[in-house]
Amino acid sequence: MNRDISLGSIVRSEWLKFRSVRSSITGVVLTLVFTIGLAALISSVVRGHWATMGTARQLTFDPVSSSLVGVLLAQFAVGVIGALFVTSEYSSGSMRTTLTAVPKRIELTFAKLLVLLASMLVVGEVACFGSFLLGQSIYSGVVPTASLSNGATLRAVVLAGVYLTLLSALAFGLGLIMRHSAACISVFVGVLLIVPLIFAFLPQSWQNAGEKYLPSELGHAMVSPTPVANEFGPWTSLIVLAVYAVVLVTIGTTVFTRRDA
Amino acid sequence: MIKVEHLTKHYHNTIAVDDLDFEVRPGVVTGFLGPNGSGKSTTMRIILGLDHPNKGRATVKGKRYAELRDPMQEVGALLDAKAIHPGRSARNHLRALAASNRIPYSRVDEVLEFAGIASVAQKKVGSFSLGMSQRLGIAAALLGDPEVLLFDEPVNGLDPEGIRWIRDFFRTLANEGRTVFVSSHLMSEMAVTADQIIVIGRGKFITQGSIDTLTATVKGTVFVRASNHQQLLAALTAHGGVTADANDDGVTIGSLTAEQVGQIAFDAGVVIYELTPQRASLEEVFMELTSDAVEYGSSGVRHES
Repeated sequence: MNRDISLGSIVRSEWLKFRSVRSSITGVVLTLVFTIGLAALISSVVRGHWATMGTARQLTFDPVSSSLVGVLLAQFAVGVIGALFVTSEYSSGSMRTTLTAVPKRIELTFAKLLVLLASMLVVGEVACFGSFLLGQSIYSGVVPTASLSNGATLRAVVLAGVYLTLLSALAFGLGLIMRHSAACISVFVGVLLIVPLIFAFLPQSWQNAGEKYLPSELGHAMVSPTPVANEFGPWTSLIVLAVYAVVLVTIGTTVFTRRDA
Repeated sequence: MIKVEHLTKHYHNTIAVDDLDFEVRPGVVTGFLGPNGSGKSTTMRIILGLDHPNKGRATVKGKRYAELRDPMQEVGALLDAKAIHPGRSARNHLRALAASNRIPYSRVDEVLEFAGIASVAQKKVGSFSLGMSQRLGIAAALLGDPEVLLFDEPVNGLDPEGIRWIRDFFRTLANEGRTVFVSSHLMSEMAVTADQIIVIGRGKFITQGSIDTLTATVKGTVFVRASNHQQLLAALTAHGGVTADANDDGVTIGSLTAEQVGQIAFDAGVVIYELTPQRASLEEVFMELTSDAVEYGSSGVRHES
């Protein structure tokens, strides 16, 4: 019988590990609740106040972004999922057991990343399409709605799910480098929340030139159906964010293979 | 089966393992004995490819651990029984390990049954006692039915019944021709568990052999009660190179056998009332072997026997 370790068998093992702990399940549920729940809440409020909102706001209202606003919360849930997928193995010490079973560390990280990307893409797209469709059905009849038959709308919804997926990969890479759950999640939250605040104090020209590189702004550009001032286009933003993820995961894998477990 | 050659490992400024050389053969239980902090766990981690040595190498069946094609079917290991994700059930923990090495899930139920934890297989590992975790760790080590097995301090946390079970289990594994390598900091434990013992201290190789040969290397003393202690002491001292202490009860002599002491007393015309060879205890042997190499010795109070 051929029982050699292969990428397939490691993926199978990691998939079982991913879904057999509560933190992943909780993270996925939170992602769905944050996105779809917030879509329901915001759309209902907008629908109820639409008549009194004033013409100016009515004209600039974007039914796509407003239904996807939950992504702002869900990005922290997917970050925690991605980070814990590595760091919980260090905090519990199970990394040693894992590496005794699978000593090929590059293959191990690759299998883990595949499991994370695949599950987060499914969760992210379900969350974003669910939010969008629920939002539009609540708007329907009172507030102008958007349709997925519009290319820009479809792109924004799809890329919102991709944004969440890439953020989880970013956190995963940080987890490989830092190994500690709390430190890793702090850095992740700091990059998404604090760094933009610091940017606000910089000269306007610096802001215009640099802000578009921030993960949160890349996400903003990806989720918007229309171009955003001083930011990359949605596809360029996707590529820049993907490069960040690749760089972090590559550094993470390199230190992971060199360090003692 | 396990070969360690010139193995050296530093952590920052401390040397954990210092030019260690030894071989562990199949068919016997080999004990790995040393005081706490002597480098046993580090050596085991290097054998398992978890830590990278600074110099030298450790191989299993001629290969470095990372080069093994299907590691769990060649080597089974239990390092730290509590190093398991606490939120996962015992069965899922074993299934994840089995899946990575293409071991069928039916084997998971077999080893759970064997280790005596089948009834708690669905429970979260975090709720396990240390003894139950040890059993789960043993179940994991056996998953791939490996030829080489490593256990780091496996007796810790086990109740007397569990200790007996694990000793018999090591014996069975060795009788099946497997290589069994078990670490401990207790000589008495090794005496009943292991056929061969490798002793290390401060990361250095000290000695290797069976319990009997190790015990023989540390000479015991001879206690004598005689008609005239002063006369006997004088005769012994005249013999040269003899250490002897006299008190009201009798004379304790090192470095001579009971036969030699008897002959000297006879030649000196001293009547012997009592002549008792005192064999060094296992703990004394261990202390003697590792006395220069205790990492965390209690300062001031030296154990003199």
